[in-house]
Amino acid sequence: MNSNGTPNEKFTFTDRDKVEKILSQYPDKKSATLPLLHLAQSEKGYISGTVINTVGGLVDCHPAVVMDCVSFYTMFYTKPHGRHIIQVCQTLSCSLNGADALVDCVENKYGIKPGETSEDDRFTLMKVECLGSCGTAPVVQINKDYHEGLSPEKFDDLLESLP
Amino acid sequence: MNSFKPVLTEHIHEQECHTLSFYKSVDGYSALEKVLKMDPKKVIQEVKDSNLRGRGGAGFSTGVKWGFIPKDSPKPTYLVNNADESEPGTFKDRLLMNKAPHQMLEGMIIAAYAIGCQTAFIYIRGEFYKEYQLLEKVMAEAYENNLLGQNILGSNYSLNVVIHRGAGAYICGEETGLIESLEGKRGWPRIKPPFPAIEGYLQCPTIVNNVETLSCLPHIINRGADWFKSIGPEKGPGPRLFCISGRVNNPGVFEEPMGISLNNLIFDRAGGIPDGKNLKAVFPGGSSSAILTAEEALDVNMDFDELVEKGSMLGSAGVIVMDETVDMVQACLNIARFYAHESCGQCTPCREGTAWLVKMLTRLVNGSGTPTDIDMIFEITDNIGGLIDFSKGSFGKTICPFGEAVAWPVRSFVEKFKDEFLKYLPQEKVIA
Amino acid sequence: MPLIKIDDKEIQVESGTTVLQTAEANGIEIPQYCYHPALEIVGSCRMCLVQVEGMPKLQVSCNTFVGDVPPDRKVEGKYDMVIHTQNNLVVQERKNILEFLLLNHPLDCPVCDQAGECLLQDYSFKFGSAHSRFEEEKRVRPNEYLGSQIVINHNRCILCSRCVRFTQEISGTSELFVEARGYKSKIAALEDRPLDNLLAGNVADICPVGALLSTDYIHKNRIWNLEKQPSVCQDCSVGCNVDVFSRKNQNFRLTARENQDVNGYFMCDIGRYGFHRFEEIDRVVQPMMRNGETFEALDWDKAIQKTAKLIEQAKEKTARIGSPFHTNESNFLLGQMMAGILGSLPPILGEEINYPSGFRISTDRSPNLRGMTDICGEIPENFLFELNDRNICGLYILDDGVDRDLDDVWKDILARMDFVIVQSYAMTDLAKSAHIVLPGLAPFEREGTITNDQGRVQWLRPSLPVQGEAKPDWEILALVMKEMHPEQQPMQDISQVMKEMGAKFPAYKDISFFRLGSTGISLNGSDEA
Repeated sequence: MNSNGTPNEKFTFTDRDKVEKILSQYPDKKSATLPLLHLAQSEKGYISGTVINTVGGLVDCHPAVVMDCVSFYTMFYTKPHGRHIIQVCQTLSCSLNGADALVDCVENKYGIKPGETSEDDRFTLMKVECLGSCGTAPVVQINKDYHEGLSPEKFDDLLESLP
Repeated sequence: MNSFKPVLTEHIHEQECHTLSFYKSVDGYSALEKVLKMDPKKVIQEVKDSNLRGRGGAGFSTGVKWGFIPKDSPKPTYLVNNADESEPGTFKDRLLMNKAPHQMLEGMIIAAYAIGCQTAFIYIRGEFYKEYQLLEKVMAEAYENNLLGQNILGSNYSLNVVIHRGAGAYICGEETGLIESLEGKRGWPRIKPPFPAIEGYLQCPTIVNNVETLSCLPHIINRGADWFKSIGPEKGPGPRLFCISGRVNNPGVFEEPMGISLNNLIFDRAGGIPDGKNLKAVFPGGSSSAILTAEEALDVNMDFDELVEKGSMLGSAGVIVMDETVDMVQACLNIARFYAHESCGQCTPCREGTAWLVKMLTRLVNGSGTPTDIDMIFEITDNIGGLIDFSKGSFGKTICPFGEAVAWPVRSFVEKFKDEFLKYLPQEKVIA
Repeated sequence: MPLIKIDDKEIQVESGTTVLQTAEANGIEIPQYCYHPALEIVGSCRMCLVQVEGMPKLQVSCNTFVGDVPPDRKVEGKYDMVIHTQNNLVVQERKNILEFLLLNHPLDCPVCDQAGECLLQDYSFKFGSAHSRFEEEKRVRPNEYLGSQIVINHNRCILCSRCVRFTQEISGTSELFVEARGYKSKIAALEDRPLDNLLAGNVADICPVGALLSTDYIHKNRIWNLEKQPSVCQDCSVGCNVDVFSRKNQNFRLTARENQDVNGYFMCDIGRYGFHRFEEIDRVVQPMMRNGETFEALDWDKAIQKTAKLIEQAKEKTARIGSPFHTNESNFLLGQMMAGILGSLPPILGEEINYPSGFRISTDRSPNLRGMTDICGEIPENFLFELNDRNICGLYILDDGVDRDLDDVWKDILARMDFVIVQSYAMTDLAKSAHIVLPGLAPFEREGTITNDQGRVQWLRPSLPVQGEAKPDWEILALVMKEMHPEQQPMQDISQVMKEMGAKFPAYKDISFFRLGSTGISLNGSDEA
């Protein structure tokens, strides 16, 4: 079973207008689940139990059903991560073009393995599947941005530049 | 062939090619104007006549699919633009969204009009955040200019478009998985029947079309079905965006007519293989297709039917090139691991079988394989996705084509490069 | 009506039936896990795959609907569909699916509660391979409590999702969900919202393997040691049909039995675990007579004589109190036994709960209020007033048993009486205030008929043996009647009682155990004879 935060605490959306807009866009409330979860995650950093309760209330759904949805998708995190989530694509084209070297870069320099967060909460390293940019392999997504055609040196510089 | 003038990507190198003003300057939305004056049934017929086949992977006739919408349903019809590009080796829809978004939107409106839809969705994969932001701007532009919303371009037709972001699941590119995700649930594909055209989103008739498929529509309307049909083989015609990646000098998206030779694509357009290495194997249609050996690849044209005859498929036209430096067993494991990660877990063969394959291949790669493992791989893939030989009848034991998608490539690796797999066995166990 | 051929059987079916339903109705076994008639079809286990001629892929029979096809597409000129369930392709396919299901399944049969009633065992034996070719490490997870009554053994779970669909569609409470995806999928519940609704026990019933287990029954016994008795739940007026599993003189569990006219496929936890409250009680197994503050045992003859004498002496100053916890037969004989007014104790009520699927827990927590009011005879509206008004000095009461607590009004009434005769199975407060206690049977020892609140008469069957010198309640009443009217023919057996009952109350005239069978008869005549 999952521990999902204290049930009595409420999560409140900061951007209420956006919530209204999202809910009004769909013919059915439940369709707003994913966009609301995205919004909550961008505000809170991850999907906590309070978020699940709030979203469940907004889309008229039992929290367990919302959790069912959250746990299915890789982009929803149920616990906090580092400031920069480094997602290195490991599928075929990127793998053939040096993705492993990039992972080693992070492992060697910052001491974290895939799935781990650095002590100072700066980086979380993840290996992900095809990011849909195989032509510019190897590709790394850091938070919302794609960084394409990276060599280990360029990657190194990029990481150093992140606060 | 080199003189083929791009249709879909004609303007992608221009500045501001993604803006409405640019698109209008190159006759953008003239097809929509024409369509709004046509009977929707005629639009469907035109698309049927053009022999346009889906560019998402399945290659089903678009016009025929539209024709499945029930004529007298009291329920609203929905159109979904499938921009959940997640097939390894495929990156063309991203290009179209970045560089020709209005072309795609025009196609969407034409499709929505043809099937009688008032609310359409763009399901874009969650990772494409930049593209999502761009599309929001594009939508805003369209609404401001009476291209979306009420009474489009002064006609009786109104359409609302909602952009819906996915959240990281390859299976949400499968049409029923997409519809489930759109409904706010986990992306578990549905059993068919009922088919989405009858009962899709919210149990209403729904059509799911790929970005590239929709992008073809303005051109079919403007230049006619016959023109479209004349490009490439008649049964599966049209301009096509081929993605090439892997071990090539110039990876990228190349627009060519359907039916272009794979040889041409790899060696002319993509500049051949770096460091003078030899071609070893190719995925012709994304990682869900069976691989072709170098010999097979150099002798085939990129056509739906021809590739099926060769035991593979055109799929999403995501060509992944592997040269002699690529270890086929590692590549096979890489692909198997992708599918195990992306399996939705709903049905038994896929959920258990993909994990079994990964465990077995990992053990093989780590040096603890046995000769029976090689035979087991054939068995397991057959049990998940069925025989590749379509003529033998039954294939596919799963709810959705994911089963075939994992079975075909993995099996083809072992079938065509068995000696490489055998090399991984502890040598004293191998019986030559 | 479409005509189909399954293997070598030609069958005419209603359009819209599935192949699976048709096969089951015609004695052809098709293995299945995820399909359940009360739940939405998901077709995810892939166990029911069959070959349908004309379709390239094997089809799941749970979702393949039969319908008329145009004449030019009929197979062999006459069949709307031809299905093969036993050919090589299908047989091999079942072996493969079972192999996949058993990949991570532990060899737990010797310690698994489900053994003996496990679909995985049954199908492996009938359709599976002799051995698995899986040589990798199995995925292992620790057990978890999903609620206070249900524990899940993740290693045995085959992810058929029946439990998840149950909580979504039947109980509407949605506690269970599938967590993660692919190989990592597992059934879960949120920690702050465990599976604790009143229908929770059903998920252990519908789980086809030993993954979901009832903590009440876990490791207590083996299904092949237990006797199964079809009966009716006695914990509310809905009258859900149940199977009672017992061994010697102990009940081990109740499971729901299908009855489309009463409870569908399910039962509630009140009834499911309610049998425990009869286990550690102060039983009365001999006739008892009060002597001051204590009770002394006496033999049946003396007890009956004294009872009859007390009643005859008081004449019409007696009142009889029936019970909605007793069978129709007992209430009927009470009505016939003596003159004097009839009444009942205040009803025992609980919360009424209605579930989205139509399943219901009634507010009336007695099983036979309808029967009692039908069969006892006329009960005056203000019974308590009549009690005073007619100077009633003696009571003969059928006790409601361990469920009844007495309030002060009743304690006063009992204290005022010259005599109180109570027929009970336990030394309840009511029994303690009696002068004579006649030992009847406890709820799981009784046999007879009870009528639910929809007017359905059902056969209540015993699953425990009679204890000590206790007698069936109707028999006690018959003995008293015989003592009071020696000239009348005594009742020899319960069927005779039922005949008399039917004669005096025409609505019940066709009631017999044989006709009631396992699903009962509706008094509203809505059943086909």
